[in-house]
Amino acid sequence: MNKRYTWRTFGHELVMLVLAAGFCLPLYILISVALKPNDQLFTKPWEFPAQPDWGNFSEAWGERTDPTLTQSLLSSAIITISAVVILIVTGSLCSYVLARRPGRLSNLLYVLFLLGIIVPFQLCIVPLYVGFRTAGITGTYLSMIILWVGVFMPLTVFLYTGFVRQLPRDYEESARVDGAGIFRIFFRVVFPLLRPVTGTVAIMTGLFIWNDFFASLVFLGGTQNATIPVAIYSFVGEYLTKWNLVFAVVIIALAPLVIFFVLAQKQMIRGFAGGIRG
Amino acid sequence: MATISLSSVGKVYPGGTRAVSDLNLDIEDGEFMVFVGPSGCGKTTALRMVAGLEDITEGTISIGDRVVNGVDPGKRDLAMVFQNYALYPHMSIFENIAFPLRARHMAKDEIRSRVERAAGLLGLTEYLRRKPRTLSGGQRQRVAMGRAIVREPQAFLMDEPLSNLDAKLRVQMRSEIANLQKELGITTVYVTHDQVEAMTMGRRIAVMRKGVLQQEGPPQNVYAHPANIFVAAFIGSPGMNFFEARVERCEASYQLHLRDQVLSLEPGVVRGRPSLEAFVGRCVGVGVRPENLALVDESSGSLRARVSRVEVLGAEALVYADIAAKAVVADEVIEAADSGEGDTRAPGSTGDEGEVTLIIRTDPSLEIDVGDRIPISVRQDRLHLFDIGTGMAIWT
Repeated sequence: MNKRYTWRTFGHELVMLVLAAGFCLPLYILISVALKPNDQLFTKPWEFPAQPDWGNFSEAWGERTDPTLTQSLLSSAIITISAVVILIVTGSLCSYVLARRPGRLSNLLYVLFLLGIIVPFQLCIVPLYVGFRTAGITGTYLSMIILWVGVFMPLTVFLYTGFVRQLPRDYEESARVDGAGIFRIFFRVVFPLLRPVTGTVAIMTGLFIWNDFFASLVFLGGTQNATIPVAIYSFVGEYLTKWNLVFAVVIIALAPLVIFFVLAQKQMIRGFAGGIRG
Repeated sequence: MATISLSSVGKVYPGGTRAVSDLNLDIEDGEFMVFVGPSGCGKTTALRMVAGLEDITEGTISIGDRVVNGVDPGKRDLAMVFQNYALYPHMSIFENIAFPLRARHMAKDEIRSRVERAAGLLGLTEYLRRKPRTLSGGQRQRVAMGRAIVREPQAFLMDEPLSNLDAKLRVQMRSEIANLQKELGITTVYVTHDQVEAMTMGRRIAVMRKGVLQQEGPPQNVYAHPANIFVAAFIGSPGMNFFEARVERCEASYQLHLRDQVLSLEPGVVRGRPSLEAFVGRCVGVGVRPENLALVDESSGSLRARVSRVEVLGAEALVYADIAAKAVVADEVIEAADSGEGDTRAPGSTGDEGEVTLIIRTDPSLEIDVGDRIPISVRQDRLHLFDIGTGMAIWT
């Protein structure tokens, strides 16, 4: 042990390693079960299979579910991407105005948005269902997109407004003096500067929407538009559940999110850090 | 290119804070005008009002023949360089410089040729594809200049553009900007709190304090004939020496009485200031710049002082010497001293109790030790006298 690397540092590292291992355990179980043949599922629950059974993935993929896994993945992608894009475009514009326009009205609107964060959306499920049914859009993508845009707009506005408030006005003022109009200023100058918080919003909302089971089951259950978590649920049978296939599907459903997270994690961390500074 | 006129311009913020009062200034076509003053003096507000980034509460601003009070900043045909350059970090240097041209929907070929010409002028050609974060402070500053000149605007507005640079680069960029302005001949309004920058760059300077224009004119004129005690204290580094003295009549002339010394005013000083008669028996502020004090022989010295510190700066030496006198403690002097750079001593500040420390700029080869009592001569044709009550210079 030298002066810089002390026993204390070693102790800290050890604790962190144990904690990290704890976080990795569910992932290990997920992967190992997804690769186990049927006969080892309950006989060797903790062991990693000596010969991984990659066939579980193809078997799960080929399982005759209604809707198919491909359809469910597509539904999840359509709903998630549409909702996130609408949230980003409208939320950032709205926050820009709230952050840059001084006055009581702006403050009042901002507080109203903040109040929206603390209302649990599950409370609104019944009136929403009635509303959607009246409008004739129950079971459609549109209903889910409207739902998620509404649910996450307060959080989006909160994150964007905090970020815009810290953004130096010089960029916009420079563009104004240079003769740029309001939309050019926003889309060419301000919006690209919001990239870190856009990453945060995309990941936070996208993750929740992609993984949501409850609202999707309520609004889309039993339809061809059911999302991937609802489709996974159909693998859980009343009398027989093939857990290795269920876990293989879970991994398939996770893949797009993991890829997105790897690509956007730098932006997301910057967005969080920016939010904390404010 | 155009003239810029500010006529009775005032700015009051919604909370009631008055930032600028009754500002009257005509900036000539092609002129380099510097607004200088301590923090919060209203110089940046004045510049932003010209740019259109701040509404004006009173008066009119004209660019050329056009009154621009309600005109949008983008339609004033001005270019502004900001303190932190405001380069768009997500755009390349080319895109940054091209931005004002794109905003005006200029043809692509024209944009390319203009950007390349501006980049060539500023030595940025090889950096056009880079992002701002990969450039040094000086290069970023040049990009900001490039964005300003590419449009060939009616005037440049610069808000402390050198304050983020280190001292050496600042000196270099100072002359680059001044030369560029001379070459292009575009009317320029430049804001700085650094009086050295103002003195070296401006063809005319406007000294501001608490939103009020104190004095405007060519830098040397302002330096040599400050209109009031604030300007006298603010301009010059090291700052002007101040002390109080009582005016007494002595036959056909006047004397300045310090605590234990008397400075007889030469006829030339008195002749130019008939109003001095009104100050007989009263105290005035006496100001004298460090270079107008000299160490002399015992016989010719008009004041005597005790050396408290000697700073040898290579080409010159600064001798700090205490004399028995009352310090000038006007707000103007203290504020100017607080905003000064480099000179850590408040002008006219006291050494020991009842003493004032004078700074004398002198030859570094002179052998002077701390504790020496030295005779000093005052160059009286450069002596400044101030009414302590109003702070105004007594010139007449």
